[in-house]
Amino acid sequence: MENRLARQSFLGEHSAAVLAAVRVGIVGVGGGGSHVVQHLAHLGVGRFVVLDPDCVEDTNLNRMVGATVEDVLRATPKVEVAARVIQAVNPNADVLPVKSAWQERGELLRDCTAIFGCVDCFAAREQLETAARRYLVPYLDIGMDVHPIGSEFSISGQVILSMPGELCMRCLGVINEAALAREATQYGAAGGRPQVVWPNGLLASAAVGLFVQLVTPWHAKPVATEYLEYDGNRHTLTRSNRLVAMLGQVCPHFESIENTGDPFWLPTAELAPGKGSLRNTGSLQPR
Amino acid sequence: MVATDALDEIRQICPQAEAMEEAERDYVFLPNLKLPPGRQPAVVDALLCLSPREGYPTRLFLSAPLPDRGQNWGQYHILGRAWHSWSWTHVQGAQRPAQILAQHLMALR
Amino acid sequence: MRVAFKITRRLVAGVQADLRRPHAFAAERVGWLRCRVADSPAGSLLVLAHDYFPVEDSDYVEDWSVGARMGSAAIRKALQLAYDTKTALFHVHLHDHRGRTWLSPVDSREAAKFVPDFWHVRPEMPHGTLVLSRDSAAGRCWLPGGQVVEIGEIIIVGAPVVRILEEHGEPPRTPELPRRT
Repeated sequence: MENRLARQSFLGEHSAAVLAAVRVGIVGVGGGGSHVVQHLAHLGVGRFVVLDPDCVEDTNLNRMVGATVEDVLRATPKVEVAARVIQAVNPNADVLPVKSAWQERGELLRDCTAIFGCVDCFAAREQLETAARRYLVPYLDIGMDVHPIGSEFSISGQVILSMPGELCMRCLGVINEAALAREATQYGAAGGRPQVVWPNGLLASAAVGLFVQLVTPWHAKPVATEYLEYDGNRHTLTRSNRLVAMLGQVCPHFESIENTGDPFWLPTAELAPGKGSLRNTGSLQPR
Repeated sequence: MVATDALDEIRQICPQAEAMEEAERDYVFLPNLKLPPGRQPAVVDALLCLSPREGYPTRLFLSAPLPDRGQNWGQYHILGRAWHSWSWTHVQGAQRPAQILAQHLMALR
Repeated sequence: MRVAFKITRRLVAGVQADLRRPHAFAAERVGWLRCRVADSPAGSLLVLAHDYFPVEDSDYVEDWSVGARMGSAAIRKALQLAYDTKTALFHVHLHDHRGRTWLSPVDSREAAKFVPDFWHVRPEMPHGTLVLSRDSAAGRCWLPGGQVVEIGEIIIVGAPVVRILEEHGEPPRTPELPRRT
């Protein structure tokens, strides 16, 4: 399989090795996330952390890449489907499937080259981005929505590249307290939201393209921040006017140093300063 | 950030309380907080959010959910750690932090 | 213990721009990166740079045997900063050329004198020194407990993301900075 990546050699002389060495975190591997997993596997990404607490259900089959009827019958964890998709394309990939809410295992994302957030609520997006900023990890967010308008429907979505040190999703107006509050009142309704395969695929592809331009030198001017708005009725994916207006401005939302690093970190016994100062294995303590 | 006198007041309930912040929201970290009698676990780490978030004027997060108290428990990732909270929107922010904490704890009785 | 150092491209650009400013008598400038830390799942220590504080013009001491000499006031202010803000402090300066760079013998000698002083105020934190070139970096970390390690990986987070891995073996001899004439 030595020629497996030959057709993408234009990505750069060492691109195969670079992609093999990166570690990518993917949070949510149902709809959009399943496309991201597949794309990255084909690209030759070598290390994956995939997190999702759910198992495959029949209502996932309309959009989850790699999921089968057998998976529905067996209630296969979605992360196992993701691992299977990856390893079918790249048996050498190092895949850590984590059947858990990502909030419980967020530490696994700390040394990722990038994190893809393929989640279905603003609260999770906000927390993911904040966590990504804390450990200086670029964060790529995708999401889609279907809205009834009279007797018709409108499909919309977004692809966002949120880079530490640059504009965040709050700066771009995607995350705000009003949207979070509105979402909180709709608790329980998220499970039945309309979802369909082709916008997920389009948005995932765009997000993967943004990731690839961060790690391979295939063109000279990679972007550090991006906000693409998807209009599924007009079939367009265009840069948000909000981003255009804000380019060059500095993000104020993570200025404090309290937003960086592990606030509960203590040195391990291996690093004990002087004598007798061990990591606190009981309650966490900020320093 | 939480005022020193307000923090001192909370330290009468939880001596190791520390002020923290993330993404422009103020928190008080409450390690080894004793929950109301009869609750299991009896002692948890807690995080009191004094700033509005997700439609809640204030919110109390715990290091573990309580199986027999509160409804609609959800998981959260704050300050690099996992936390749990339940649906309880009635504690307003325009009070002293110690009062806010007391009202959240009352919901767990 | 492997140490990985992460810093945003925006911060690197800001630091480089500041370090290139001329000084009345020092041949080069120096400053401090305030950092926080975290453990990585792989068992490395992540040092995460947050912001930069230049050494003030008046805190340099004339010494023509080196590119820049900080006075005691500079160290005192940095110690206060580390203590007040509970941070790991990394001294930073610039080798203004392209390509890989290393700590020079002078850099190494001088850092060994002042970096351990930060444990007097923040013994629980790692501290260290970083040198930037125009497109690369290298550094050394003093870990709590006294171990001193080369920074194994420096990751510049931005567009593009760049990983600079420490090369094992002897670095090439770096010429001493020339005396001012």
